[in-house]
Amino acid sequence: MTNQAPLELANITKRYKDGDQYIEVIKDLSFHVHKGEFVAVIGPSGSGKSTFLSIAGALLSPDEGKVLVNGEDIATYPDKAKADVRLRTIGYIFQSANLVPYLRAKDQLKLVSEMAGKWSKTNEKRVKDLLNGVGLSSRNNHFPHQLSGGEKQRVAIARAFMNEPDIILADEPTANLDGDRSTEIVELIAKEVKDKEKAAVMVTHDENLLKYCDRIYRLADGQLTLEK
Amino acid sequence: MFALALKEIRFFKVKYTLIGFILFLIAALVFIVSGLARGLAFDTAVAMEEMDAERFYLETDADEQLVRSRFMLSDLEEEIDREAGWEPLLLHRIRLDLVDSDFRENVTLVPVDPDSFVYPGVVTGESIESSTDLYIVVDESLQADGVEVGDQLYNEESELQLTVVGFAENQMYSHMPLAYIAEDAFASMEIVPDSVANAILLQESDEELEARIENIISGGNWLTKDAVVQATPGYSAQQSSLMMMIAFLIIIAVFVLASFFYIITIQKINQFGVLKAIGAKNSFLVGATVLQVFSLAVISIGVAIAFTVFVQMNLPPGMPFVFDLSLLFVYSGILLTVSLLGALLSSVKIVKVDPQQAMGRAE
Repeated sequence: MTNQAPLELANITKRYKDGDQYIEVIKDLSFHVHKGEFVAVIGPSGSGKSTFLSIAGALLSPDEGKVLVNGEDIATYPDKAKADVRLRTIGYIFQSANLVPYLRAKDQLKLVSEMAGKWSKTNEKRVKDLLNGVGLSSRNNHFPHQLSGGEKQRVAIARAFMNEPDIILADEPTANLDGDRSTEIVELIAKEVKDKEKAAVMVTHDENLLKYCDRIYRLADGQLTLEK
Repeated sequence: MFALALKEIRFFKVKYTLIGFILFLIAALVFIVSGLARGLAFDTAVAMEEMDAERFYLETDADEQLVRSRFMLSDLEEEIDREAGWEPLLLHRIRLDLVDSDFRENVTLVPVDPDSFVYPGVVTGESIESSTDLYIVVDESLQADGVEVGDQLYNEESELQLTVVGFAENQMYSHMPLAYIAEDAFASMEIVPDSVANAILLQESDEELEARIENIISGGNWLTKDAVVQATPGYSAQQSSLMMMIAFLIIIAVFVLASFFYIITIQKINQFGVLKAIGAKNSFLVGATVLQVFSLAVISIGVAIAFTVFVQMNLPPGMPFVFDLSLLFVYSGILLTVSLLGALLSSVKIVKVDPQQAMGRAE
């Protein structure tokens, strides 16, 4: 079991209808991430990075192929079951922090725990630890509008780790941040992924961030090619 | 889910206070108009509504209106004894002046056998008895005009003085207080010919007796109490126009709430997308929205009930307004239900939100 990759895509194909013909955005793509591994996927815009990440993240079903999460093929799961996989097994970090505007930082984390039905008093310490871990120990009670862009993204990272997912997916997590802030954030994600032994995939176009990643793939013409 | 719903309301205070206030205004208006409708219905027909009789025999061409119906009773009195269960009902309008005061009031004099089911009894003072003493029991609304037990009321027409011995409750008909007087006393006033009545009343339905009475006095038909109440001049016109106002207010409430929450939902589409992407289920998001509507509606309706009580206590005494708590709860229930129905429109939108839109989107 220890060698089981938490996330594996096997021969994935995804087509979109464009006018009267179909375009294959992803063609027969295979991919996997191991625990404690931080993998980057780069590629020009329009190359299907978001589609790739949506399929990996149980948001979109592929037309062909298997999506194996901890060995289970979720490609054919109904919507409700996929929502459950997203809630319990996958942590997302989006381009913008996408926090809930009316919740304090600690409540952002509490919310995902509550949705999973896992909330208890002992989790309060976990919230604190996670926020400490992203360097926000003094900002537990702040609303999103009181936080800077970088701080918001840190809360989003803590939120992604809250339900102890096996997989972390980051969709251009630094797109809205300046260079220094970007480095900090990716450093943080890399650190958390290593410390907590998660399988992580980051989609990005910022080549400066790749030094934190274990493997780098380029997505072009619907195929992944290993760069490093 | 509930905590989430309340936290959002607390954070966006202004937004939710505004909609709560609109709902409060609509609810308060529904309650006040319904109180007014009850009040008008009360003044118009409460005496008949409360009358302990089920069957009314009225002239066929009287359009079901008590005061337009008129029977001579001499034949009936000879054929069937009143012990059999029938009672005559006569409404005779007269003017009464309070001696030594400017008070004057039109009242409807009702001659009764004080032992029969037609006579309602008193709440204060003493009852009338079968005698020729000119004693009357009047509706308690006259108390507000300063009439007291023992007062003499003068009737110009007959040049007689009537003594108020007691007050009865809920005895208004066609916006006039009723004054009950013993039959013998009324006869002695000699203001109407003997043995006339507007209607013949039975306490309970009795087909055999109804048929016998119909045989002796033809040209009439038997009506239910409800038909007589509805046919009271002005009753259905008032009630239907006020009910239409209430119906419109409720429809307005549905649309105001539905559109408000629909707009809020559209504003939050991205947020719902993100929440769905991180695993929120439709039931959770719809539940939180429905709970918000529910909390807002309960608070607004509660405040509206309190406001209606306040209005009722501060109304001038002559205002026809009846605070009917059970009716208030019925309308509260309707408002709450339609509010939740309005929220369902937004739920459709929430269910349709695609979680994938959270991906690849820069704010």
